[in-house]
Amino acid sequence: MKNVRIWFKKDGACRYISHLDLNRTMLRALHKSKIPIWHTEGFNPHPFATFPLPLSLGFRGVNECMDVRLEDENYSFEEITDKLNACLPLGIRVFDVTEAVMKAGKVAFASFTVKLSANKIPSGLICRQLNELLAQDEILIEKKSKKGMKTVDIKPGVKSFSVTEHFDFAALEVVLSAGSSDNVNPNLLVAALEKKTGAEYEADVTRNDLYNADMEPFR
Amino acid sequence: MVSKEVEKYLLKVQKPGRYVGGELNEVIKDKREVEVRFAFCFPDTYEVGMSHLGMKILYSQFNSVPYIWCERVFAPWVDMEEIMREHHIPLYALESGDPLSAFDFIGFTLQYELSFSNMLNMLKLGGVAVRTDGRGDELKNIVVAGGPCACNPEPIADFVDLFFIGEGEEVDLEVMELFRKCRAEGRGKREFLRMCADIEGVYVPSLYDVAYHEDGTIKSFTPRDGAPAVIHKRVMTDMDSSYYPDNFVVPLVEIVHDRAVQEIFRGCIRGCRFCQAGFIYRPVREKSPETINAQCRALCENTGYDEVSLSSLSSSDYSQIVPLLEKLTEWTGEEKVSISLPSLRVDGFTDEIMNKIKTVRKSGLTFAPEAGSQRMRDVINKNVRHDELMQTCATAFAGGWTTVKLYFMIGLPTETMDDVADIAHLGQDVVDTYYNTPNHAKGKSVRVTVSASSFVPKPFTPFQWEPQDTIPVLHEKQKHIIESIRSKKITFNYHDADTSFLEAVFARGDRRLCKIMELACERGFHFDGWSDCFSLEKWLALFDECGIDPAFYANRRRGFDEILPWDHIDYGVKKSFLVKECQKAYENQTTPHCRLECSHCGAAKYGKGVCFEKRQNLV
Repeated sequence: MKNVRIWFKKDGACRYISHLDLNRTMLRALHKSKIPIWHTEGFNPHPFATFPLPLSLGFRGVNECMDVRLEDENYSFEEITDKLNACLPLGIRVFDVTEAVMKAGKVAFASFTVKLSANKIPSGLICRQLNELLAQDEILIEKKSKKGMKTVDIKPGVKSFSVTEHFDFAALEVVLSAGSSDNVNPNLLVAALEKKTGAEYEADVTRNDLYNADMEPFR
Repeated sequence: MVSKEVEKYLLKVQKPGRYVGGELNEVIKDKREVEVRFAFCFPDTYEVGMSHLGMKILYSQFNSVPYIWCERVFAPWVDMEEIMREHHIPLYALESGDPLSAFDFIGFTLQYELSFSNMLNMLKLGGVAVRTDGRGDELKNIVVAGGPCACNPEPIADFVDLFFIGEGEEVDLEVMELFRKCRAEGRGKREFLRMCADIEGVYVPSLYDVAYHEDGTIKSFTPRDGAPAVIHKRVMTDMDSSYYPDNFVVPLVEIVHDRAVQEIFRGCIRGCRFCQAGFIYRPVREKSPETINAQCRALCENTGYDEVSLSSLSSSDYSQIVPLLEKLTEWTGEEKVSISLPSLRVDGFTDEIMNKIKTVRKSGLTFAPEAGSQRMRDVINKNVRHDELMQTCATAFAGGWTTVKLYFMIGLPTETMDDVADIAHLGQDVVDTYYNTPNHAKGKSVRVTVSASSFVPKPFTPFQWEPQDTIPVLHEKQKHIIESIRSKKITFNYHDADTSFLEAVFARGDRRLCKIMELACERGFHFDGWSDCFSLEKWLALFDECGIDPAFYANRRRGFDEILPWDHIDYGVKKSFLVKECQKAYENQTTPHCRLECSHCGAAKYGKGVCFEKRQNLV
């Protein structure tokens, strides 16, 4: 048995499916591919796969990963890539298979590109608005919790950022806390911006890379 | 393929995965290289439509023809519809993203009457004129429809250019071929439709005139231009050689029936008197176990599904069910594929079948006794005895099951309040059976769900002349069941009587209802099959406005000698047979099923199927 990490892109039509739907799609592809993956041993056996960090519906993912256990340790990684791609919808493309070097729980940061545009707001102005927002000491947002709405400061979760102006959008490159404890979703930044300016923005979000607590690329 | 314009709004709606296509096994062709573009429309949401087997069969079959490109279109949910209207985005097909108005054919499958409003709404959203006479003579945007509701096409006759009557596999392609020829010859739509009417199984409503008596019943139904006086349904006679896909489009988002589906036979031997499917799909025609096994395997391999459902109207009536399950379980265990057998009859749930399906997955058990008292079950020809039901439940309980769902109908012909109370009593008997089964699951309680829907009289059944109970009577019967239930182990659900009433109106309606449908479309009615959107009040206001009494269609007892709106359509079952069955119902008499004895319904004229099997009692 060998733990392997399957790296893929999620874009196109598949950008619009939830994590649960992605999970189902992956399990079906694994089943169809007949790659010797370890199956759960319950009453209803199915291929066992876990995702180190789920991706929100609507985000593009260029460096996503999924962990499986390979029963045949000598099974070639190239074959996994080819077989899975033959069984997946075009919006999901596997581009690499590696050993799982770091434990899934080590994910601590994620980098994003957020392209923002809005009706009648020039991209230069959006850049200034973004810089102002991110220069604040705290960025307070309303979050739904079990005890109703509560106010949370997401500023500590912003590790680094840069803003660049483009012809019809402003691009925010941002590294945010990720993982099970202090996850900050870039949509929260967009919501904070909307609250601050009163405008509505269209956000095209791509998740680029995952990192561990020392900002080493997640492998 | 989704346009950039649509993408702008996708993150604002629920479940955007419904609107993007891009699934595994979706068929993409080059539109410049095909001659016929067919938009296959399902008048409900993606999740419902994608679960429909007929659509999967015809989608694959159309696309297996090089000159046809068939694409899928579903009704957008209300949030998406609002955005589409606001931003003038026409309803589009998932494969190409092209609007409905770009298609040669716009085909609807009509599975339930309450989806009629969605059909018209989809045409409107797609930028296509709703009425046939508003669409011009150019050979494009031909609106076609098929499916069970096409057996009484009259309430939507003004909107559909042609109906496919019966099974579509052959007739659809014949019409496509004729279309191709007509276009090459430069013919117009009117001429094309006239030629279509000569194809067996095609009904062109605009070629017929209807006249009415003063009392509102039909006086005459007259064909024009030499169109046939009677339209005969089409039937596939050899199920082993008829087209079946080896591949399904595998949805990205979860749908209602998210699994491979394998048809095992068409038709039903039983002849339950309320059931339209039991008559319009006659005669029973089976696929061989070898064909089913090979098709199941191909489907699972090509889709990656780990569950296959054996589909038919009554799976345990498949004559070789045990050999079939044996064949399937030879490979399903190793491939980690589970088999589900929906539509099991009470008397068909044997130890042998139970053990075969249990090897892979334990799903809930659902049976449909349909009526509470034995007399009532004889009236509807259900042919299920009380002791059989208890025996079956005991088998299931001994096998570890602890939940049973029971389906019933209220408002059946000749029903009394005692018959209604017996529904509750039957539920109680099942609870008692659980505790009397010595080896039932240890330390677990039993859960019996009793569901009661309201009887809707349907065309081509022995009850097609029957009045439906009025809404207040149905409410009273629902209340009576609730009051008759004593046990907390029984959960009672009932189906909303308002929707059943509207269903009854349209199921047996005539062409005068087109006016109502048109008005409903203008007023933006949609998703009437969903309680979120349905309002009987709004519908009644339309009837009022048009001066039409819906009770005339739903609650009136019709005479055996009356011309019914669907009398010009022939589904193989003779009207005289239906009359005889209706009279037997009044005398509480049952009719044996097709394998026991032929009752001479008329379906033998197709020359195939159960009508020509050797009967066991004659061997």
